[in-house]
Amino acid sequence: MAACALGRLTGRLSRLLGRGGSALPGLVAEKVDPRLIERLVAAVRRGVVVVTGTNGKTTTTKMLVAMLEGEGLTVITNPTGSNLARGIASRLLEVASWRGRLEADVAVFEVDEAAVRPLAPRLRPQVLVVTNMARDQLDRFGELATTASHAAAAVRHAAIAVLNADDPLVVEMAAGAAAARFFGAAAPIRRAMPPDSSLYGTRTEAAAPALLDLSLERAEAEGDGQLVELASASGERAVVRLQVPGVYNGYNAAAAALAAAEFGVPLGRAAGALESTPPAFGRGQVVEYRGRRVKLLLVKNPAGFNQAIRLLTALSPGAEVLMAINDLDADGRDVSWLWDARVEDLAGSGHRFGTAGIRAYDMALRLKYAGLQAWSETGFPAALERFLAGVPEGGTGYLVPTYTAMLRFLDLLRPGTAKREVWS
Amino acid sequence: MSDLVVAHLYPYEMNIYGDTGNVIALQRRLQWRGLAARVEPVSVGEEYDFSGADIVFGGGGQDRSQLEVAADLQRRRDAVHEAVAAGTVFLTICGTYQLFGRRFLTQAGEEIPGIGVFAMDTVGGRKRMIGNVVVGTPWGDLVGFENHSGRTRLDPGQKPLGRVKKGYGNNETRRDEGAVIGNCFGTYLHGSLLPKNPAFADEVLSRALRRRHGAGFELAPLDDTLERQAARMAAQRP
Repeated sequence: MAACALGRLTGRLSRLLGRGGSALPGLVAEKVDPRLIERLVAAVRRGVVVVTGTNGKTTTTKMLVAMLEGEGLTVITNPTGSNLARGIASRLLEVASWRGRLEADVAVFEVDEAAVRPLAPRLRPQVLVVTNMARDQLDRFGELATTASHAAAAVRHAAIAVLNADDPLVVEMAAGAAAARFFGAAAPIRRAMPPDSSLYGTRTEAAAPALLDLSLERAEAEGDGQLVELASASGERAVVRLQVPGVYNGYNAAAAALAAAEFGVPLGRAAGALESTPPAFGRGQVVEYRGRRVKLLLVKNPAGFNQAIRLLTALSPGAEVLMAINDLDADGRDVSWLWDARVEDLAGSGHRFGTAGIRAYDMALRLKYAGLQAWSETGFPAALERFLAGVPEGGTGYLVPTYTAMLRFLDLLRPGTAKREVWS
Repeated sequence: MSDLVVAHLYPYEMNIYGDTGNVIALQRRLQWRGLAARVEPVSVGEEYDFSGADIVFGGGGQDRSQLEVAADLQRRRDAVHEAVAAGTVFLTICGTYQLFGRRFLTQAGEEIPGIGVFAMDTVGGRKRMIGNVVVGTPWGDLVGFENHSGRTRLDPGQKPLGRVKKGYGNNETRRDEGAVIGNCFGTYLHGSLLPKNPAFADEVLSRALRRRHGAGFELAPLDDTLERQAARMAAQRP
């Protein structure tokens, strides 16, 4: 397998040159052998899991990997941000031998919701998880209905689809699935988390399944995380202290546990793995800095922003909050989504707000029209200083950034981390 | 007691590009002057009497939604024409703007009839026109974000809203953007339009307030420093 050797060589060179592993090796190897991914994943003994959807891909992937590794399985997974074909090819090359041999029981890949359409027939997943479908980066994906059609096409290539029963656009995908399993939440939780499609006039005829295979029965904030209760259709129950906050992470936990069940992981053991899964990069992660705790709440779209807002409104008044909005390609060039988030819910929270990033003024304006005052700093170091000045020593400040804004802050908070996490 | 009534056309179907921010801006800019607006949603299938509205607003939506809305809007054709003739202020954006023209020809060759308030046709194309836009108008430069595949051609007699200084506007060949007839405005600018363009927001409000409360009605000035900062930054972005 010349492609393998060449790809691995590119990876070595790229790292030596200080560019990180990046997607370059995959790109090079795929040019030489366009069927490289197919060849490599064919050797994965128990098959491939693909996790796609708008929000929660990274966290769900991380949870599922922990569950499978907890069973003693050898698992391959792709690092954050490398969720396109070349990123997956790069990761496979990294773990394959120079001759193109792979030693793995399961591969769990987070896949971009547009890239999943061409990738699914190549990966032939045993399990395909769709977390949710929400309005995201319209400048890149076009409409919500278009994004949903990509995931729906991908579902047809999976042996089993693990679907969100509370998102009508996802439920609709069951029609094309060879077999479907559903996760969802009990009615009180569901009512508090309306699916994005219901807010954007994307009507569907699909009726929610009468019975859930895995149900989120309870989800309450507890410390830095969330206390959740999961129940399976076969009567297993588990109470879990997640290290990640928010009801939405209860959904992610349910999705991961249901996918793990397909590999024979009982709910009780999946729960144990969940408790020991630390937050993924920027998703509720806490960074210690100068005797303070900075909690990162990555936001990419109105649905994710609303989740962060719900979390902030549950805090006691007086928290320091910094919202950092960039408009580079990875963030989405169109910042109009800020107007679709329920920023008004923060009025009366008693928190203090600052804004940063290229579109700091847009964020400040959004807050102003929600009746909230905020300071603005477009420069990252200056914004960080001002933000930290408002966090008491030993206290926690909340940083709500878009993707590239988060990378900039991590570079300041922990020099070198951002690069390692993204390119690892 | 409300000083103005804002009719929000199809808030459920036509809302994907942050256009709700326009309604928020209208409400807040009145509130900051001690005035109040009542917002009335107009939904598919519901009866609505436009004679009670001072401002009618409609935003952009997804293709599927636009089809549903197009059929419903046909029923209201005469009522909308009457309201436009009576000087009611209209602000239509993207998808709703297109439906205020004569027709929309989709890429597949299907014709979606509009209600013909503006003398224009829109033809669907493959390439989407996406990015920050700057348009010169009598109310200064308007800054917004556009994201549309429809190319709109105005008839020679149809007045545009302004001239494109950056971006595409109605189509990629001519430099005109939007359309205006009397108090009825149409534009491709979302993002949202009104919060970052306070002079235009106040023009919309002033026209409606003068029509209801007399020609002498003047809006008190507001501090729009932040609005201008946000607009200046957006104008520099790709």
